[in-house]
Amino acid sequence: MRRKNWIIHLILIPYAILFAFPLFWMFVTAFKQYSEVFSLTPKWFPAHWTLENFKEVVKIVPFGHYYLNTVMLVFGLLIVQFVTVTLAAYAFARMEFKFKNILFVIFLSQLMIAPQTLIAPNYLTIKSLGLLDTKTAIALPYVASAIGVFLMRQAFAAIPKELEEAAAIDYCGPIRFLIHVAIPLVKPSYLAFALISITYHWNEFFWPLIITDTVRSRTLTVGLALFAQSSESAAEWTLLMAATLLVIMPLVIIFLIFQRSFIKSFMQSGLKG
Amino acid sequence: MSFHRLRQKIRPWVYIFPSFFFLFMFTFYPAFKSIYLSFCSMNIASPRPIFIGLDNYIHAFTTPLFWTVLKNNLFYAGVTVLATLALALFLALMLDRELYVASLYKTTFFYPNVIPMAAASMIWLYIFIPGYGILNYYFSKIGFPNIEWVTSRRYAMWALIIVAIWKNAGYYMIIFLAGLQQISEDLYEAATLDGASSWRKFWKITWPILSPTTFFVLIISFINSFQAIDQIYLMTRGGPGNATNMFIYYIYQVAFRFWDFGYGSALTVILLVLLLVGTVLVFVFIEPKVFYQSDIKP
Repeated sequence: MRRKNWIIHLILIPYAILFAFPLFWMFVTAFKQYSEVFSLTPKWFPAHWTLENFKEVVKIVPFGHYYLNTVMLVFGLLIVQFVTVTLAAYAFARMEFKFKNILFVIFLSQLMIAPQTLIAPNYLTIKSLGLLDTKTAIALPYVASAIGVFLMRQAFAAIPKELEEAAAIDYCGPIRFLIHVAIPLVKPSYLAFALISITYHWNEFFWPLIITDTVRSRTLTVGLALFAQSSESAAEWTLLMAATLLVIMPLVIIFLIFQRSFIKSFMQSGLKG
Repeated sequence: MSFHRLRQKIRPWVYIFPSFFFLFMFTFYPAFKSIYLSFCSMNIASPRPIFIGLDNYIHAFTTPLFWTVLKNNLFYAGVTVLATLALALFLALMLDRELYVASLYKTTFFYPNVIPMAAASMIWLYIFIPGYGILNYYFSKIGFPNIEWVTSRRYAMWALIIVAIWKNAGYYMIIFLAGLQQISEDLYEAATLDGASSWRKFWKITWPILSPTTFFVLIISFINSFQAIDQIYLMTRGGPGNATNMFIYYIYQVAFRFWDFGYGSALTVILLVLLLVGTVLVFVFIEPKVFYQSDIKP
């Protein structure tokens, strides 16, 4: 058995190297001096580790603004989704009403129609609401979250009926039951949903690109793309990699800390968004 | 009806209302609006929609670029879906055992899924640069010529495909791993006692039991490959010469470059229909081959 595992490692290591390489290469380049990029034989590590690229890039790109916008967007949306998702998921899991099943299927159809598909008509809606170039506009299409309702419905449905009955005897109304009993019981599912939502919205690019116009509302990914297309960054790969590192760093750190829950939550969800 | 009963009847509707309101506003309303606008002319010349019947659809089907976009997208979808599926399944099979540093492997294969496609595009552009780029350096070592990855008609599509596989394989691997964990050890042990080879065990046990997972991954990766946009916008801009122009990018060009929302809406509708038809086809032709454990009669 042990001998066989050696063969597995032998097979997996080259793949692991190929997968890890882009992250490694970005990381070392961000700390290199400009001239090192153009050397004809690639240098695996910088000759002198330097922070110059970061200093330079922060001067050119308003990363402070972009960070603030992204954090406000991601967490603001998460709070709103927490409310909408909890209410809908709880109703679908534990209440009886007409057309319940068909409404649930209609809800899940959102999973098939990704927002990218509807950029043109949604742009018109946002425009007529007078919300162009706002963070609210970036968030609005995601306030209703099919994946969130799907995940949380499963979690709520698993709560035993007896618990609810016992609570009713103690004069604990449905709303108090939801807040004091049900929500605390499904915390792990909330964590799973939060990780998926945060990742998705931190990373989202195209919809914010279309809908935003100024530093006031732009997110990190949009800022990165604009910097990449500006003249300051032409062939300035060290600056660009430093900017890229700044954009992905918080996520990579969260990912490494919550690695297990991350992988588990994506496993559960089986779907993105 | 008592006040209490009435409240109980209304409560669920109050609970689902906020979600349905936004679902309607930003998913169903725009989908139906696209259908409506697709029969209208709405562009810079006529900012108010004017009914023109099927003209936008006729325009699409008679424009060579539309067919190029469709062909590109089908090719991209076909290659990425199959390659990603195969790689993900292979990695999952390798990792589905007691293995030293297994979680390190999982992290390594999964992390590309967590970082933004915008950032991934930057990194890969840098890896792909012709001349001093690292990929070409090692390719030249093994005798390849200098490849213009994102700027040549021949390789730009392959550059996008490589990035897509790298980005998504780890995610599907995780889903396959979840599926593999459902398979009971007893089955393998029984097969081993009967002297079955690993190859036979894979095709007779793993593959059929895993088929619902495979089916699921097939559908979502198919849908995802028609949503590709970030990497196209950032790496190739649909070029060179539309060699990597795909659906969402084409819609973006029509709607936001030429401000032709009528034609853009027709394209949106065509894409939605294509996704629907594709999904239905997968259900009709592949779903019957899927093996559900609940099918087994006791």
